[in-house]
Amino acid sequence: MNSYTEKNEACQSCEFDDNLRILRETRFFSGLSLEALKVLAYLCTRETFKQDDYLFSQDDDDGRAFYFVSGKAKLVHRHDSGEMDIRNFEKGDFLGGLALMGPLHRLFSLKALTDTTCIILTRDKFTKVMEQFPEQMPKVLKSLIESLWIWEKHFLSDPDKCCETCLYKIGVSLV
Amino acid sequence: MDKANTPIVKRSLFSWVFADNIKLQILLVFIIIFTVFARVLPLEMQKRIVNEAIKLRKIDLLLLYCGVYLAAVVAASGLKYLINIIQTLISQRATAGMRKELYHHILTLPLTFFRRTQPGTVVNALVSELAIPGNFVGMAVAVPLTNVLTLLAFAAYLFWLNSFLAAVSLSIYPLVLFLVPLLQKRVNRLNRKRVDTSRELSSRIAESITGIHEIQGNGAYGIETRRFNGLVDKLYKIRLVWQLYRFGIKTANNFFTSLGPFLVFILGGYLAIKGRLELGALVAFLSAQEKLYNPWKELIEFYQVYQDGSVSYKRTMQYFDTISEYALEPVGREPYELDGSLEIKHVSYVTDDGIKLLDDINLSLNPGEHLALVGFSGSGKSTLALCIGQLYNYTEGNLLLGSKEVSELSKKDLVYNLGFVSQSPFIFDGTLKDNLLYSCLAKINGAGTDEKDALPTLDDMIEVLQQAGIFVDVLRFGLNTVLMHDQHGDLIAMIIRMRDNFQRDFGAELADYVEFFNEDKYLYHSSVVENLTFGAPNLESFADHNLPENKYFLDFLKEADLTRPLLGLGAELSKQTVDILGNLPPDEIFFEQSPIAPDELNAYKELVERLKKNKLHQLSDDDRKKLLKQALRFTPGKHKMVGLPPMLEQLILEGRALFKENISIDYPDAVSFYDISHYIFSETILNNIFFGKTKTTNPQIQEKINQSIIQLLIAEDLLETIVEIGMHFQVGTRGGKLSGGQRQKLAIARAFLKSPKIMIMDEATSALDNKSQARIQNLLDLRWKGRNTLIAVVHRLDIIKNFDKIAVMKAGQIAEMGTYDELIDRKGMLHELVHGKK
Repeated sequence: MNSYTEKNEACQSCEFDDNLRILRETRFFSGLSLEALKVLAYLCTRETFKQDDYLFSQDDDDGRAFYFVSGKAKLVHRHDSGEMDIRNFEKGDFLGGLALMGPLHRLFSLKALTDTTCIILTRDKFTKVMEQFPEQMPKVLKSLIESLWIWEKHFLSDPDKCCETCLYKIGVSLV
Repeated sequence: MDKANTPIVKRSLFSWVFADNIKLQILLVFIIIFTVFARVLPLEMQKRIVNEAIKLRKIDLLLLYCGVYLAAVVAASGLKYLINIIQTLISQRATAGMRKELYHHILTLPLTFFRRTQPGTVVNALVSELAIPGNFVGMAVAVPLTNVLTLLAFAAYLFWLNSFLAAVSLSIYPLVLFLVPLLQKRVNRLNRKRVDTSRELSSRIAESITGIHEIQGNGAYGIETRRFNGLVDKLYKIRLVWQLYRFGIKTANNFFTSLGPFLVFILGGYLAIKGRLELGALVAFLSAQEKLYNPWKELIEFYQVYQDGSVSYKRTMQYFDTISEYALEPVGREPYELDGSLEIKHVSYVTDDGIKLLDDINLSLNPGEHLALVGFSGSGKSTLALCIGQLYNYTEGNLLLGSKEVSELSKKDLVYNLGFVSQSPFIFDGTLKDNLLYSCLAKINGAGTDEKDALPTLDDMIEVLQQAGIFVDVLRFGLNTVLMHDQHGDLIAMIIRMRDNFQRDFGAELADYVEFFNEDKYLYHSSVVENLTFGAPNLESFADHNLPENKYFLDFLKEADLTRPLLGLGAELSKQTVDILGNLPPDEIFFEQSPIAPDELNAYKELVERLKKNKLHQLSDDDRKKLLKQALRFTPGKHKMVGLPPMLEQLILEGRALFKENISIDYPDAVSFYDISHYIFSETILNNIFFGKTKTTNPQIQEKINQSIIQLLIAEDLLETIVEIGMHFQVGTRGGKLSGGQRQKLAIARAFLKSPKIMIMDEATSALDNKSQARIQNLLDLRWKGRNTLIAVVHRLDIIKNFDKIAVMKAGQIAEMGTYDELIDRKGMLHELVHGKK
């Protein structure tokens, strides 16, 4: 019997158990087998960012995924004429799954609004784990495709709020 | 042919026999002549002892002949030993010589050769196959000469004793001489097959080890094992039959030669009975006859070694019999100093398989101009760069560097004028400094100047490290160095002084990221044992890895009520770690957060099985030590699979005080306690400055820490010292301890340090982040343009705006060429590449 189907008794407030629970509840990882999830949960690290620290910066290829344990951060996009606030991320949010899959230069920056603690998984670790569980990759792809689809469906559900130029460019799920 | 100019692959095996060994071989001949004489002499003495001394009952003659006999035997043994020494010297020298020359030859072979050759083949040729021919070279003069002379001497002696008996007993040998070569032919055929199959097997091993990630990733153990087993079976059969034939030769030889005494007994006995042969002569004859056997056996063995050696040698040399496409050294002139111009006229490149990778390329660059080659993968941009760098040999047209045809330049001309940074640069095992100096050393060694005088200064090296953006990394390596007790005395004093400044200037700011050593607090980023001893061991028996065996320490644990809770912690850690990592390969990435090292995993797997069936107190002493070892290593900030129970934390803190108290009385010198006024030799320089440990591996926070430390080091004038220490960082096999970006930066720094007239960068900044890439591009624009010519194969198009010329390649041709603005205005291919297809 697997020791993780029960609560790990030696570990009263141990990060590993929390990480495992969170990964299982995150859509991006939800299809993975428990064996693979355990390794990922073990490889995750926690980082605390102080207010005004950047979790990542535009143009960087940091290759990391974040789950917000506490705190709040602001997503911004810098363009030729200035900076644009996009939205905020806070406790319980997950982002960066796509950056785990392959090289990706950030199109946004993520800046901590308060002191923020995140669970972080890096691309190197994710790739290594997937090499060990190659049969799990289709499941990750499936949830990725699903996320993209949901995102675009959500976007299309209220097309009146989009500007004309934006509407002209949508269709990311057609990639 | 002159040996120096003959490539090794064209040299015959015999050319090695006398090359560099003439004096030794002549010496051998003289020694051998003496030896043969010393071998025959006892036979004559034997005869005289029987016929003269014993028969005539003369004691003085007996003593004389026995004395001569003894002297001859001693001399023969001594000389034989001397022959063996010289023989070994020659054979080892020849093997080493063959290896060196063949390795040098292989390094110069064209890249196309290595596309079809596995590293294993080269390893096998250099390591295994050349040993047998080397062995032959050592034997080539000594063995045949000794044994033929001995044989002749014995044969002559036999004829002198009794020509009839001699003729009869020697009549067997022609038969053997006929039979052995017949068998040897088969042996040779099998040996050729063996060499080829061994080579195939080595290639297969090398390939699977190189591709181990792919094998494990795909779980293709079965496929690889089947392929390997097939080859091993094939080699097994060949080797089996080969050895059987070899033994066949030996057995046939033994059989026929042992027929000799039989003939002597029957005929000699008859003649002696009839009184036509003296008894002494018969004894001497029998002895001589018997002594024929050894030299004969050695000759046959030599014949086999010769045959095996020449098969291995020929087969190996044939395989590498390709000549470098270019001369290594310029003939009759100094290497050119090229002016940096490039002229390409109608250049095409067709592969051996007839595929045209470059098709009628034309372009020209003035000295100091910068050219970017862009296009989709497979458009030929890298191929063109490799042709310019002489790594591929263009098949048509003219390619002129500094008005000289590239195909006619020697390698040395290129070493002097050209720098090359590839997309995945190769970093060799050794220190970072060795790799940084790699290109420079190649140039200096070529020039024959004194290495020390010509080496770049520390300032030069630091400058290029900064230019390539790897300076901070090297500083970090320096800061992470653990200093030895007897090194850097001044530095240590300064670091202790720095602690105050650090605390004053940055203590508060970095407090969240550093866990300072505090005697009253538990250190979550230090191990349990460090928490207990709160110091660095001075005695080997108190070193962390020895403590689970240290009786004093074990007694202390008992006294502090820690034994049982620690065993429990060790058991839990082992169970969880084995559960998570039990089926994973020994990759560093999986084990860096684990208390169990990869090579210990199997032992702990078995231990966990035993834990399922037994209670802690039922375990053997050995198992309990294993559990204790895990518990003592446990670092809560790093090993997240279990938590540290608050109760145990409290016990350990109390244990810390008790340990200090006890050991200060019992072994006051065993441990140096963490003390703000003393250097801690078990910790890195950085942790010594902190007087604590970093809690994080987050790159941004590391950057913040770096900035603070750099300020401090500059204030103390220690920056260069620490960077110099960092340059001694061991980069690991193939630079495995560096990240992809660091490897590229190091390769760029290496090229910058050489500062060549013409530089080729083949997607050299592809693994770098935008800032580093922009900084390097900026440097190339400001400092290199107008001075050094640059040919850059570029994948990311955001860096090409300032290039003098951009050539957009498609299907092996230049589709368009001009400045960035010209091409964008033209709205052709570059526009499409940059802005996407409309």
